[in-house]
Amino acid sequence: MTGIFGFYSFGEERERWNGLRFLYYGLQALQGRGSESVSLAWLSPNGFETYSTEGDVDAIRYLVEKSRGHIAIGMVSSYRDDSVAVIESPLRLALVVDGMPSLGNSRSEAFTRLAETMSELLGTGLSPLDAGLRLISQIGGGYSFIALTERGEMVAGRSRLGVKPLSVGSIGFDIACVSSETAALDVVGASFSSELSAGEIISMSQLSLKRGKVEGAAEALCSFEFVYMARNDSTIMGVPVYLVRERIGEALAARDEVKVDVVTGVPETALAFASGYAGRRGIRCRLGFVRTGQHVRSALKPTQLERLIGLQLKLNPIAAAVDGRDIVLIDDSVVRGNTLKNVVALLRRKGAQAVHVRVGSPPIRYSCPFGTEIPPPDELIARDLPIEEIEKLVGCDSLAFLDLEELVKAIGLPPKVLCLGCFTGHYPEEVRTR
Amino acid sequence: MKILGVGGGAREHAIAERLALSRYNPRIYWISEWKNPGIERLCATSGGFYKIGRTTDPEAVAELASNIHADLVVIGPEEPNFHGVPDELEKRGIPCIGVSRDLAIIEQSKSFLRALQWRYNIPGKLLFKTFRDESAAMDALAQAEKNITWMQNVVLKPARQAGGKGVKVVEDRHAYLLKEKLEFKLGHIEWLASYMKDYLDIEDKILIEECVWGPEYTLQCFSDGKELIGMPLVQDNKHAFEFDIGPETGGMGSFAGPELTLPFITQEEYSRSIKIIREIVNAVQDLTGKSYRGIVAGQMMVTEVEGPTVIEMYSRFGDPEALNVLAMLETDLLDVFLAIADGRLARLGIKWRTVATVVKVIAPEGYPDFRELARGHEVIVDEKAVEDAGCKLYWGSAHIDEGGRILTVGSRVAEILGVGETIEEASSRVDLCLDAVKLKSWNVFYRRDIGSREMLEKRSKLADVVRRLYRRRMELGTIGKRVDWIPGRGIVDPAEDIVKWLMKEPSDGRGG
Repeated sequence: MTGIFGFYSFGEERERWNGLRFLYYGLQALQGRGSESVSLAWLSPNGFETYSTEGDVDAIRYLVEKSRGHIAIGMVSSYRDDSVAVIESPLRLALVVDGMPSLGNSRSEAFTRLAETMSELLGTGLSPLDAGLRLISQIGGGYSFIALTERGEMVAGRSRLGVKPLSVGSIGFDIACVSSETAALDVVGASFSSELSAGEIISMSQLSLKRGKVEGAAEALCSFEFVYMARNDSTIMGVPVYLVRERIGEALAARDEVKVDVVTGVPETALAFASGYAGRRGIRCRLGFVRTGQHVRSALKPTQLERLIGLQLKLNPIAAAVDGRDIVLIDDSVVRGNTLKNVVALLRRKGAQAVHVRVGSPPIRYSCPFGTEIPPPDELIARDLPIEEIEKLVGCDSLAFLDLEELVKAIGLPPKVLCLGCFTGHYPEEVRTR
Repeated sequence: MKILGVGGGAREHAIAERLALSRYNPRIYWISEWKNPGIERLCATSGGFYKIGRTTDPEAVAELASNIHADLVVIGPEEPNFHGVPDELEKRGIPCIGVSRDLAIIEQSKSFLRALQWRYNIPGKLLFKTFRDESAAMDALAQAEKNITWMQNVVLKPARQAGGKGVKVVEDRHAYLLKEKLEFKLGHIEWLASYMKDYLDIEDKILIEECVWGPEYTLQCFSDGKELIGMPLVQDNKHAFEFDIGPETGGMGSFAGPELTLPFITQEEYSRSIKIIREIVNAVQDLTGKSYRGIVAGQMMVTEVEGPTVIEMYSRFGDPEALNVLAMLETDLLDVFLAIADGRLARLGIKWRTVATVVKVIAPEGYPDFRELARGHEVIVDEKAVEDAGCKLYWGSAHIDEGGRILTVGSRVAEILGVGETIEEASSRVDLCLDAVKLKSWNVFYRRDIGSREMLEKRSKLADVVRRLYRRRMELGTIGKRVDWIPGRGIVDPAEDIVKWLMKEPSDGRGG
């Protein structure tokens, strides 16, 4: 999983802006999508430069203090080996991706081939807009991308399936920003302009900003964005993520009669679920945990060990909130079940009595072809195990998942514009027929 | 009747067209720096002629007016006003729709306008400060965080109207980007100082103004010195590119109607705006002892602190806003102009058609920041496509040469007007023929989003948010009040500082 961000300045005075600093904060805002590697490409009066490194956004702090760039793109990723794809000829360019183009066997191969194709299309003399449109016509999959050419053009877009979101914003009369999430636009002080739709390309140069759409695009937005991936302060397809999460909490509450004293959520995403749940049932919602360290999302850590370390660092239960209480604990999703198992154990140790777990998404049973890090199917706890077994394993008093219909209803968009593949195994048209 | 028009843009083309349609059947003569193909045609068919000449040269314009025995001169753009063309005509006793230099100062000098508003306590004010040289301005900005906190979120402008260039809006509310934005502000002050160096008619060259947000609209009015009559509100869109992105232009498209106000501006806000403009006109008349005869317009914004607020004033029609209102005007435009010239506007009873209008502007790539690239390209036009779409084409920064070739002059080349029952309908009508104007070996650009449903929804949402805020302030009695806290001084009303500073300043902002 990755987050991508682009900074573009216009006009005579464009070189006065140091876009790298804006990029830094934009990427920091997107770190919830991945913090194992960070990469960027930028243009300055000195030319075209790129940099990729392991680690979170802080790994480029020194670089952005020291360097300048008035046009820049970047990516944060949950994959340690991800880097910005750089192509030298026919046209030198760099490209960052969220999601997966259906190309090649590995991520790096797919990203590189996407960038190569872009370079070749531009090399034939196509305009940046037309090259972008041709690119997504030729290459399927579910991805969003931002490309930067050495000539100072930026091209960004969403594949025909439009699985991954992408938004555009502006700052004053000088700057345009492109971002995986709207929240990152807020963070750099950009005002939201619009979201790109599936199969839409935006291109920018000093002379123009153009938008175009390919034929036959069909929105298949990743529903997991609403459940887990996106920030609470982002909006996707006009739907505020936070409201979806509160509605999910309300849906869980509507059919629940378990008697408890306290509702709490696993930070970050499930806090919104808990608020919706508690509001609906009129039960007190309490802060259950305090997080330590950076914003590291446990499911996005590469190894089991780091996952456990990440989790323990991240969540320390607040004993005073749970001691001697019966509680409802809400989490956003269950992948392997180990996160939940540990959280329940930690809560019990701090004195929680009954612990009823409610999950704000349907059981995850299938992997994701679009680059969302879901383990292989045989590692998914909810794939085969009945709920009672999972309950035992997690060590909770009861467990309930959100239904698929409830999820779709909470999102509030027609099911045909959503990808629900990780819950249903039915992927959007294009992938299934491949 | 003979009329001489001044100025060669799409606004003037629209004025010429309405005059040509007048029941007085006037002969139309024109003067501008290049030969606008649309106006040229209207001159020819009405029996007049088109002269290429300097519109800012009062002698040249007055001479031409005398030679043709013009009954009325109509001035389109602002620069002839700033250069005293109307004054010269007045001296020669030729009636003119155009504003005397002393009055046009409300447009020419942005610092004069602000000072006027504060001195006469006219609502819709903004905090501001002007500077003679760059170092004082830079100091003020650098100290803003400690001293004058309103100066953190600012608009940096040339203090004088200067080719519509050099306005930067820098909102600075994120502590972590403070250094970055300050660097840009200081850099831009340097740029402004060097850009303004050649404008010797003004002392205070740099204006720093409070940055505000909210929906914008233009209120154009007819004024005969006694009566002020408001036209339908228009929203012009200044960003070069779709969805409000990119450099500031003279305007890339506008919409209006079908009522007198816009869908997201209330009747009450309209009335307040008229009142503000009337007070500004009265104040400048009071100060100069002259009578304001012509067009006056407020580029307005509904803001949190003030409600309807003046961003800038025009001493003429807006371009493209002129096209919207002229298409909505039912009364004979020449009757209106004659009433202005005779000072009997009150008795005229101006009527408006209940239609929505949308204008989309076509500009050559390179406009607005790299104009040398935008200049000298041959234009290919499909007039039938425009006609088939039920739209009208107005030529702007386009020159027709002896051989009948049309060439770009460097600014907005043409504007297409669509009329409909709703703004959305008019907008889609214009979309049908946006490709009717092309260049032979260069590209044009335009904004399809002007007047679209998405745009109107976005504007309404913005208006709702800001309206709640300023109405709340009205209830609480804090409308127009700002509060600052300066260490060592305590709670400060920054407006008091401005008034004190204005009292000390002998200059009224006019400089010279």
